[in-house]
Amino acid sequence: MSQTADTPVLEVRDLTMRFPGQEFPSLDRASFALHRGRALALVGESGSGKSTCAKLLTHVLAATSGQVLFGGRDVTRLNGRADQLAYRRQVQMVFQDPFASLNPAHTIRHHLVRPLALHRPDLPSQDRAAEAARLLEGVGLDPEATLPKYPHELSGGQRQRVNLARALAVGPSVLVADEPTSMLDVSLRLSVLETFRRLKAERGIALLYITHDIATARHVAEDVAVLYRGRIVERGPVDAVIDRPQHPYTRLLLSAVPEVGRPLAADGGILARAEAVRRASASAGDLREVAPGHLVRDCLLPA
Amino acid sequence: MSTVPLLSVRDLCVDYATGTKLVRAADRVSFDLAQGEVMGLAGESGSGKSTVAFAIARLHKPPAFVTGGSVTLDGTDVLALKGEELRQWRWRDLSVVLQSAMNALNPLLTVEAQFRDLFHAHGVRDKAEVRERSAELLRLVGIAPDRLGDWPHTFSGGMRQRLVIAMALALRPKLIVMDEPTTALDVVVQREILEQVAELRAKFGFAVLFITHDLALMSQFCDRVGIMLKGELVEQGTPAELLARPRHPYTKRLWDSLPRLHPDTPARTGTAP
Repeated sequence: MSQTADTPVLEVRDLTMRFPGQEFPSLDRASFALHRGRALALVGESGSGKSTCAKLLTHVLAATSGQVLFGGRDVTRLNGRADQLAYRRQVQMVFQDPFASLNPAHTIRHHLVRPLALHRPDLPSQDRAAEAARLLEGVGLDPEATLPKYPHELSGGQRQRVNLARALAVGPSVLVADEPTSMLDVSLRLSVLETFRRLKAERGIALLYITHDIATARHVAEDVAVLYRGRIVERGPVDAVIDRPQHPYTRLLLSAVPEVGRPLAADGGILARAEAVRRASASAGDLREVAPGHLVRDCLLPA
Repeated sequence: MSTVPLLSVRDLCVDYATGTKLVRAADRVSFDLAQGEVMGLAGESGSGKSTVAFAIARLHKPPAFVTGGSVTLDGTDVLALKGEELRQWRWRDLSVVLQSAMNALNPLLTVEAQFRDLFHAHGVRDKAEVRERSAELLRLVGIAPDRLGDWPHTFSGGMRQRLVIAMALALRPKLIVMDEPTTALDVVVQREILEQVAELRAKFGFAVLFITHDLALMSQFCDRVGIMLKGELVEQGTPAELLARPRHPYTKRLWDSLPRLHPDTPARTGTAP
């Protein structure tokens, strides 16, 4: 696909998901773009709509309204099986639970060779093992030690790397990673995030990094969008949003992030204002650009 | 800090019996906790931090066995408690808050019925008194008392955990063991709950043993922190001490591995993440 750096690989316009009987939509007119070699962090609490967004992008769910454009082409609804397969190959998913997403009855070799056999007809069968080894090296695992093993013989961090290698096996241009580090021990999180960073740089992957942990966003993403109750309340370059947050909910979220060396009582606490911020943030307002690329939803917070 | 600690743990050993051998999950763990103090135990999954907390709260069941050491809470030999004595001690002297509030609450009973069970088990039977004390507990954790008649599933995750904390406070215990109490919750809700616990502690003076894998959170909430590694308590001190002068290499590694919100401001002198 011939694209300039400015053409988004994947673009979402006013994407909305309303399940029957819902008071407010799970996702309400979300718009954003993913670019080659860059990452967007989609940050929000549970129920904010971030996983719904992942399911819409990977065609697990069908949107109520709005558009998904892949390389400029509308892929919101694909009817032909060939089109579906081609799209799914391009947009791969890494899930939260590294234990549940590998088949316990198969070796790691099987987990990597199978997608190669299914999705890479260009690759001769005798080359698949070598390609599987290369994929493991690419995510920082020793191929010889890892290929013959079963999932239960690996740690959580190693399994998550296998998941990543498997997603990469089919040569996607977009990765959707839904909380890929939240089930890992803290000491492993940074190194897995570092792997994502490298994949962006080396393979030009466009990454949608979904997380509840805004502190990790800066370690992997150039841009961040903050979701609250299905709506993006603030979106922009990661430094701008974290260092100069404008929306009351973004500020609340940032003040609640555990930070070393900042005792709980030091900043007056959030107990008194959290509820007021939630109420105000739930009301609809327009997204307004406050600085280049930095958008904030209007929100009236009673003083 | 008083000279006699509220809780004294000495050379505590816990083993898990597997098919063929014993696996040591806690290995000669010793520490003290003062009246009203908040102590954190940090470590990765499998480090033994919950194993220690469960031993102190007498929650272990086979195949886990306390195989050595002593636990003394306010003069009571905790490991020697039996039967009715143990039942009365629980919730009156020590209470427990676990990660999954939904599993700690009975889905088939209203909140009021669960408070009533608790009070009945500890000899408070007067209907009006039970009702009044239950309502007061809800107020303490910021939930409207008119929700006493509601079922657990009608509360949000954060509110459920507050209900459990309210129950833990019911008999004014000296020590509350909290094992990953906010891990399943969002950061804003987590912060709200911990601020509330801090307020309640200032009011009632209970001590807290706080278990978490989140070292940053622990450094914000605790007076003292212990670092667990492979069943051993490898280091303890105030968060400031452990941050400025970590003696164990593992402690240093844990600090350095934290994803920071502001990576350019080193939390620890000499650390550039």
